[in-house]
Amino acid sequence: MSAAARAMAADSSAPDRAAAPVVPAVSVRDVAMVFSGQAAVADASFDLASGRFLTILGPSGSGKTTLLRMIAGFQRPTRGEIAINGRPVSAVPPHKRRVGMVFQKLALFPHMTAAENVAFPLKMRRFDAREIPARVARYLDLVHLGPYADRRIHELSGGQQQRVAIARALVFEPDLLLLDEPLAALDRKLREEMQLEFRRIQKELCITTINVTHDQREALVVSDEVIVMDRGRIQQMADPISAYREPANAFVASFIGVTNRIEGRLSDAQGDAVTLDTPFGPCAGRWGAPAGRSPRVGEAATGMLRAEQIRVAPSGEDRGGLDASVSAEIVDVIFEGERVVYEARLAGRPEATLRVFDHDPLGHAVQPVGATVRLGWNRRDLIVFPND
Amino acid sequence: MPDTPFFLQLSRRRFLQGAAAAGSLGAASALGLRTAFAQEPEKPAEIIVRAWGGSWVEALKAGVSDPFTKATGIAVRHDLTEDNEIQPKVWAAVAQKRVPPIHVNWDTTTNATKSALRGVTEDLSDLPNLAHVTDLAKPVGLDGYPIVDTYGYVYVLAYRPEAFPDGPPTSWKAMLDPKFKGRIALYNDGIGFHFPAQVAGGGKLEDIPANMQPAWDFIAKVKEQEPLLGEDPDFTTWFQNGEIDLACTISTNAREAKKNGIDVAWVVPEEGAKFDTDGLWIPKGLPENELYWAKKYIDMAIGKESQQVWLDGLGLPGVVPGLTPPADLVGDPSYPTKPEDFEHLIRISSKIQVENEADWFGKFKAIMQG
Amino acid sequence: MPLRPSRSAYPLSWRVLDALEAGARGVWPARFARGVPWLMLAPAILLVGLLAVSLFEIADASLRTLDTATFLPSEEHTLANYARAFSEPVVLAVGLRSLGGALLVTLATLILAFPYAYAMVRTPSAAWRKTLLIALFLPFFIGQVVRAYGWLILLGNQGLANEILGLAGLGPYRLLFNYWAVLFGLVQYMLPFAVLMLAPALSAIPEEVEAAAGSLGANWGRTLLHVVFPMAKPGFVGAGLVVLTLTLTDFAIPAILGGGGQDFIANAIYDQFFRTSDQGMGATLTVLLVLVGSTLVGLVFALFGAGTLSLRGRGP
Repeated sequence: MSAAARAMAADSSAPDRAAAPVVPAVSVRDVAMVFSGQAAVADASFDLASGRFLTILGPSGSGKTTLLRMIAGFQRPTRGEIAINGRPVSAVPPHKRRVGMVFQKLALFPHMTAAENVAFPLKMRRFDAREIPARVARYLDLVHLGPYADRRIHELSGGQQQRVAIARALVFEPDLLLLDEPLAALDRKLREEMQLEFRRIQKELCITTINVTHDQREALVVSDEVIVMDRGRIQQMADPISAYREPANAFVASFIGVTNRIEGRLSDAQGDAVTLDTPFGPCAGRWGAPAGRSPRVGEAATGMLRAEQIRVAPSGEDRGGLDASVSAEIVDVIFEGERVVYEARLAGRPEATLRVFDHDPLGHAVQPVGATVRLGWNRRDLIVFPND
Repeated sequence: MPDTPFFLQLSRRRFLQGAAAAGSLGAASALGLRTAFAQEPEKPAEIIVRAWGGSWVEALKAGVSDPFTKATGIAVRHDLTEDNEIQPKVWAAVAQKRVPPIHVNWDTTTNATKSALRGVTEDLSDLPNLAHVTDLAKPVGLDGYPIVDTYGYVYVLAYRPEAFPDGPPTSWKAMLDPKFKGRIALYNDGIGFHFPAQVAGGGKLEDIPANMQPAWDFIAKVKEQEPLLGEDPDFTTWFQNGEIDLACTISTNAREAKKNGIDVAWVVPEEGAKFDTDGLWIPKGLPENELYWAKKYIDMAIGKESQQVWLDGLGLPGVVPGLTPPADLVGDPSYPTKPEDFEHLIRISSKIQVENEADWFGKFKAIMQG
Repeated sequence: MPLRPSRSAYPLSWRVLDALEAGARGVWPARFARGVPWLMLAPAILLVGLLAVSLFEIADASLRTLDTATFLPSEEHTLANYARAFSEPVVLAVGLRSLGGALLVTLATLILAFPYAYAMVRTPSAAWRKTLLIALFLPFFIGQVVRAYGWLILLGNQGLANEILGLAGLGPYRLLFNYWAVLFGLVQYMLPFAVLMLAPALSAIPEEVEAAAGSLGANWGRTLLHVVFPMAKPGFVGAGLVVLTLTLTDFAIPAILGGGGQDFIANAIYDQFFRTSDQGMGATLTVLLVLVGSTLVGLVFALFGAGTLSLRGRGP
């Protein structure tokens, strides 16, 4: 059982949940989607509590968008059931679900003004015609587009179009808001601005939201919870901090953050504390596999160590407080302003290369290329996963 | 529309005789046919004859064109452009003083008369064989021979015998029988039908063109019968596919359908049937030598041997005396040979037709398209 | 690994274009470069010029009446032909038949073409798309006249349709030679044009937009009505204009399937030019047809905007 599955099992069987009559806003049970023999999504199960912001994170082809489209109703699961507010929806067409969606390419209606776009779902859902203008104005104000109500879509900037799409998806007060990578095409500055905007609106309306992205930074910034997917399967569901600090497996560890992989063999195992024999020599670390998968001395394993958890010191100098260290030579230095990025290598062993983010706010010391340095970390940060 | 196969099985010997006769006639023609043997103008590689397609052009080829080529070595190319469509091209060519697109036009006498009135035709008075033709060859109401008529034909009432178990129809009024609603056919400009309609409508032929109201009344009644309107090939197709029981069409088309195994017969009804002629003419603007050989072609077409073969193919009476009718047409009302045969046929002068045809077509259209 | 240059690094087509460019430089040296756009425009200008000249000729001919004594057009200009055209009920009857037919055919063709084009654009199956495309293009290889004769055979009294009806103990019915047969033949003829004009307009509508309409609460009917139709408007207008003008000026289908009794304007013009040799009257009807057709096109532009043909260079 993976850490994710364990976390979920704990979720659904936790006594406090079972006792309270709280129905999850979204419940996905054993859902699979098979396209011509290929499983795009397999065995997906999770619950999402009302008002939470969930991000499904994964590389392209991981099945995250398929999962989202099934929740929206554009695709029907081959197996399994999806419930929204406790109501099974697999047989309900999209237009009868109360789900607002912001699409990857926004999918605004070019023949309508911003206000008409926002009014469209109200008209389609037969809201009282007298109520529509005020409500449209309210939601345009929510996204700061009040003055642009009568502009056509092509007369708006990219960011303004994003806001129209958000207002349109929210105006009919759906039970659920889905975001299908709507920020992917924006430049970085605008994207980060819109991420915060999504976050603000979500909190303001307290609307349950599922966001899909391949941008791990976005996932960490905006979400209450993160699901990491790979090859159709959910790898982990956790809050951002846990997903970052306690990755369930090597994939999650490498997909979020910049992580060094150190291949080796276990030379010692005492409970969770293991020693990995690496090209750098024996390195102390923490066993990261799920319960029931105990470490075996002598097995091949991979240590995962984040670049920012390594400290650099000139050879011979001690950086107090760190309980593991190796020697290496600096082969590349990139100065990025708030940090320095080093590539450090064991002489003559190209596979033994570590990337290091050195946030040295005080010392202003930059190690030159060719310097032999001491790399140190805490053993709890080197997480060791079995290779199978 | 009507087509005239004119088959002159002209042996070389016969041709030489004809040419010699022309020479001996000493006709002081502009062409100088008199000196034909002394100095024949240069032969063109080919001459172009406009013709109607299908059995019409085959008959012409067998009766006139092949013998012509054999006798002169000049190839004959048949241009199958519709007569109505070649006319404006020829007119335009003459107006712009260009060489016309054809050497010889095989045409209805009415259409040809329009061209003659417009002055785009060469005079053919000096053709040697004109000495041997009947009056039918001479266009009525025109000076000289801007056209040579080459045969006559009748717009008969063709019918499917199966639809007339009690014997053939005797009157054009058979078209008004309700059981033939939608199953009768006329030419789409009504050609051939106006005059018998005048009689069937209770009018007099002498009133043409002054008072044709009886014809229009009758045609209006026929319109209630929802007739099909078409051209020569349509009639054959319609008879073949069982779409129609009655049609006013040139006997040649009905005969062609019959030859194809379709059960069709025809009569000249008691009101009479329109008789008309087709002819050949030469547009102005040809080089002298080509004009000479084009005239030779027409001259051959009114020779007896060509007429016999050509008109056997068409099943129509020619313009030289003594032709042998095809076996299936002996005594047929559509093949008049004796003066009494013509009593039931309606002939109206080309001049009246030419001057009024546009109006008649217009009236007919107005009734049929209204 | 031996270093073998990839063939696609400098494809054959580039070499061909190099040779062509070299040839072009020989024929048309670079210093004439400013003339190139004009050179390329020349055929179009020539064509349009010729068209304008012949239109002028036709307008001139329409002002001359026919003298049946000489079969020459009159020397002086007169409006007599126009007076005749407006006073003869048959002109009005044929004109209204053409116009009404063109409108009905356009409507029917667009209604039938839309689902076809939509299915062709949206089907996820490549095999289906190909089948639909081939079925669409096949008729293009068969001329209008041949197709009309095909209908004569299929729909005739002894044709396949009546044979099938005969099996059911019905008929035979006269399916041909009436107004509806003409309209049927025209719709069948125009359908591929309309589909080909509609398909690009439909494929320009992202599928996501339709999905969005669904998630916003529109069922498929309202999605079509509120989203697909308005967004496909340029396609509808383009296809409608093509079908309308082609139908309004069609000759062969009314002539063949109408049994001679269902003339359209083109048939009437043909009659004047070629059957009664009255070029003046034929020219008059031609001028009227051009006027009516241009007015219709102008009306469509006024209603829907010339931008529907993407003449503004910027999409909607």
